[in-house]
Amino acid sequence: MENLKTLVDSLYLLKPEIAISCVLVLVIIMDLIMDKNKTFLPYVALTGFIITAFLVVEQYFFKTSITQNLQKLLVIDAVGAFFKLIVILASCLIVYFSLISKEVKEAFDRHGEYYALICGMVIGMFFMISSADLIMIYLSLELVSLSSYVLAGFTKNSLRNSEASLKYFVFGAMSSGIMLFGISIIFGLTGTTNLLAVKSVMAAGGNSLTFLFASILIFAGIGYKISAAPFHFWTPDVYEGAPITITAYLSIASKAAGFALLIRFITLGYVQQIDASGAWQLVAGSIDWKKFFTVISILTMTLGNFAALWQDNIKRMLAYSSIAHAGYLLLGVVVLTNQGLSAVILYFIVYAIMNLGAFLVVMLIANKIGSEEIDDYKGLGYATPFLGVCMAIFLISLTGLPPTAGFIGKLYLFTALIEAKMIPLAVIAIINSVVSLYYYIRVLKHMFLTRPQNEDLVINTSFAEYVIVLVLAVPVILFGIYFTPIVNLAKNSVALFLQ
Amino acid sequence: MTQYIYLTVLLPLLGFIVNGIFGKKYFSEKISGIIGSGTIGASFLVALLSFIQVLGLPSEQRSIEVSLFNWFNIGNLNINVAYQVDQLSLIMALIVTGVGFIIHVYSIGYMHNDKGFARFFAYLNLFIFAMMNLILGSNFLILFLGWEGVGLCSYLLIGFWYDRKFEKSTTSDAAKKAFIVNRIGDFGFLIGLFLIYLTFGSLNFKEVFPAVNAMSNTTIFNLIALFLFIGATGKSAQIPLFVWLPDAMAGPTPVSALIHAATMVTAGVYMVARCSVIFASAPAIMTLVAVIGAVTAIFAATIGLVQTDIKKILAYSTISQLGYMFLAMGVGAFSAGIFHVMTHAFFKALLFLGAGSIIHAMHDKQDITNYGGLKKYMPATYKTFLIAALAISGIPPLSGFFSKDEILWNAFANGGVVLWLVGVVTSLMTAFYMFRLYYLTFEGKERFGHDAHPHESPKIMTIPLIILAVLSVIGGFVGIPAVFGGENSNLFEKWLEPVFADANRKLSFYNSYGHTTEILLMLVTVTGAVCSILLARFIYLKRISIADNLSRTFPKVYKILLNKYYVDEIYNTAVVNPIVKISDRFLWKITDNKLIDGLVNGTADVILLISGYIRKIQTGVTQIYALVMVLGIGLAIFWLILSIK
Repeated sequence: MENLKTLVDSLYLLKPEIAISCVLVLVIIMDLIMDKNKTFLPYVALTGFIITAFLVVEQYFFKTSITQNLQKLLVIDAVGAFFKLIVILASCLIVYFSLISKEVKEAFDRHGEYYALICGMVIGMFFMISSADLIMIYLSLELVSLSSYVLAGFTKNSLRNSEASLKYFVFGAMSSGIMLFGISIIFGLTGTTNLLAVKSVMAAGGNSLTFLFASILIFAGIGYKISAAPFHFWTPDVYEGAPITITAYLSIASKAAGFALLIRFITLGYVQQIDASGAWQLVAGSIDWKKFFTVISILTMTLGNFAALWQDNIKRMLAYSSIAHAGYLLLGVVVLTNQGLSAVILYFIVYAIMNLGAFLVVMLIANKIGSEEIDDYKGLGYATPFLGVCMAIFLISLTGLPPTAGFIGKLYLFTALIEAKMIPLAVIAIINSVVSLYYYIRVLKHMFLTRPQNEDLVINTSFAEYVIVLVLAVPVILFGIYFTPIVNLAKNSVALFLQ
Repeated sequence: MTQYIYLTVLLPLLGFIVNGIFGKKYFSEKISGIIGSGTIGASFLVALLSFIQVLGLPSEQRSIEVSLFNWFNIGNLNINVAYQVDQLSLIMALIVTGVGFIIHVYSIGYMHNDKGFARFFAYLNLFIFAMMNLILGSNFLILFLGWEGVGLCSYLLIGFWYDRKFEKSTTSDAAKKAFIVNRIGDFGFLIGLFLIYLTFGSLNFKEVFPAVNAMSNTTIFNLIALFLFIGATGKSAQIPLFVWLPDAMAGPTPVSALIHAATMVTAGVYMVARCSVIFASAPAIMTLVAVIGAVTAIFAATIGLVQTDIKKILAYSTISQLGYMFLAMGVGAFSAGIFHVMTHAFFKALLFLGAGSIIHAMHDKQDITNYGGLKKYMPATYKTFLIAALAISGIPPLSGFFSKDEILWNAFANGGVVLWLVGVVTSLMTAFYMFRLYYLTFEGKERFGHDAHPHESPKIMTIPLIILAVLSVIGGFVGIPAVFGGENSNLFEKWLEPVFADANRKLSFYNSYGHTTEILLMLVTVTGAVCSILLARFIYLKRISIADNLSRTFPKVYKILLNKYYVDEIYNTAVVNPIVKISDRFLWKITDNKLIDGLVNGTADVILLISGYIRKIQTGVTQIYALVMVLGIGLAIFWLILSIK
């Protein structure tokens, strides 16, 4: 009875999750009842997401991180709320994208399914972001994965679509199996699945070799979600095969949840305390995460950038680019400091905007010319100057050149590295950015420097499309010049972290 | 109103964005013009209201910093986007927006039917935006952004008619010349900024200047001041970097009036005045500033004597007048220099706009030897031009008299007789060539062909002329010297006094001469100017043969002056050509083509090669993915276990 009472008392901490579950149920029921006209379903989902976003913002200001309630399963704090905000805003935009996506429109009879699955993913990601318990981590990860397997193969209209879905499933099943193995070992070692309890058992002196083994296995599951090398193989195939809306969604929301989970996993399970300067002190005998992440991040960004050089399909190119960005984002984790964390948060704001923007332009162009091959982009800058210029803004920002927000994001990441005295790593990251310039600019070269194959091709942009592209393009420039607000947001989010 | 001072910066930016994006497609000339000049007019109003408000404050509260937001804070470098409202920046803001507004309005008439009408106004607004950042910025970085911004706008506007011929080449070449020469100066300026940051660890005025005031290490100040001054010589067209300004006349005439006469070229003067404390701590550089200023003044004036292109004469006259301002700075008469910035903005803008009106009437012909007798065709232009010419010649009680006299008096009192003499001779030459221009243009026989039908410009162009003429007449009364009006009559100097208080404390003034000397000197210059005017009248109205005879008697001198001392040619042989040759033979063919391209292409090839291998891992076969992943995990565990000890 006592347990039940604390559970009921702490339900208010789950407002966003409860809200989104209601949306899920509502979407399914409406889909079942109204089988004639389903055009309003996206709006139901959108409204639900917006309400949830408000609840998340409310959570952002809770100020305290509460682990005592909820059976110590979840942590609610500003960092978590921030990542939830990224997820929910990305979801809102993806619903909007889906409204104007030709691919999704063609599968109009299964819209209910589509939006319900997105809701499912959001619930999963929310729990991923706040989980403090290994079982919770596993369950939420599975919830996200299962929804995304189906979504990746949603349109069913091409072979590669189904192939993507299947590969995603096989690969995902394997990594979650490995992760589960790791979790079982830890449970065997410590007799608990709660990360804080695991930490105290291990700090008191446990079998550190086995612990290390299990930790790496668990990391495999997380690494698969954030597509860090060598767990990234599914990314290009799935990104290329899935509908663009889902590709964009996976590259932002799912990655954000993955990073939040990674940060949670490290800080709850391995960090003894955060000292005054913001550095994370690891518990004695734990893995040398710094070294491990250094190698992983170098591998990830180098593999991502180098493989992207050869790609002819723009979605596949962006898939590799998103792998490379996972590598950059890991740089902020490598340093194991609060500064690094705030750099990750800052970069996520920027990355979400510019990556969604790039995918949006690709989608709009695919809507019209029906192709995602970079060769077919020849002269598109003349056919649609507006989209061309916006694409240029997004790609330049992805490269990290001023005066775009991408530059600011990278600047703060590298500053965190340099403050942590990891200059060689910063140099490698900068060289990687230089390499990335090639494949981003190649798209622009095709768009602006080659004459169009079809001189008369004119691509018109509807008002709804104008608005959404501008909503993403303007902040990229604006935050590139006036970046104080996002920097402050990142700093404030971290200010109360684990104190 | 001071808290809204940022509007004076933002409104022009808004005008630029709106006209720049929508202007060409959607706006008629009327709307573009209204947006373009309206935003500047509104800026002027904001500046004026701020001025009035500050006027009501006691003098120690007149320096207000308006901080918009913290721009960045990395390491020790903390930069706010913040604007400084004080006596100096308000004066400059009023000049820039006020004269700027008048010139914008004038441009509506001047640019009528030009295909780049909206683009023109967009650039002009962008220029005002940059210029306001330059003069209002409360740290060196904002100042520098504005500094670079005005350089860019100057480039864009000089080459505005990019498809037209200019002299032997094109307007684009003139624009490039201006840009490159300015870049040389900017480089010096940038080094100055680095030195400031190194020495004081900050770029904010309110931290740097008190620190300078407290220190007494002249070596570092000499260095900083020297590099800052190099920057100023570029932007303000002083020896040795003045060569771009005459070529800048390739741009439309309102641009010459706004950028290359009234505002941008005075940025260097403003910067020296803003950094007066630094300069006052570097006595050697102060002398250098004064000497460069004086030499530039007389040097440009001699060239001005023989030029025949109306805009070229005005351009050299601008360089010469800027020399005066630096002379003032160099002898520590900062407020006199800024005073001259103001009066010069009035009468030089008026001269240029008048010239524009004439060029408009004469169908783009600019050679004064083909003018003559325009008086009766263009009454408004004629009257206003005459006022401006009298003002620049220093005839009392027009504005030029007061500012020029103050500079000359300070040069005499604090700089010595030589500097004063150079100033006076320059002043006589100025009077002479201005009236040479005047008589050849407006009086005498009509020397233009029958196909030309000179006519007065429309109202939208003449009204700005009239306003500027009024300002040229009365603008000097805010700075009546103490010798006429008593202790407190020089309102302008009193107003600026707090800004330069620290600098003045550091400088030691001799100033032991009495009022009699001052009046005597004044009489000398005024009499001299009047004589020069009469001489010009005699030669160019009565006996044009004298001029011809003179040039025939001294063919060498004449040729040297006509060819501007061959400075362009000297620069070409001594600097440009060697650089071009070295670049061509060594830097391009060997360093770039072989070394750099080799390295770059080699690296790119290696990267592509590696990338080709990496790509092959991605086979598409899921089993292999799983295998690599498990291998990866195995390796990681292995490696971490090994490294645990």
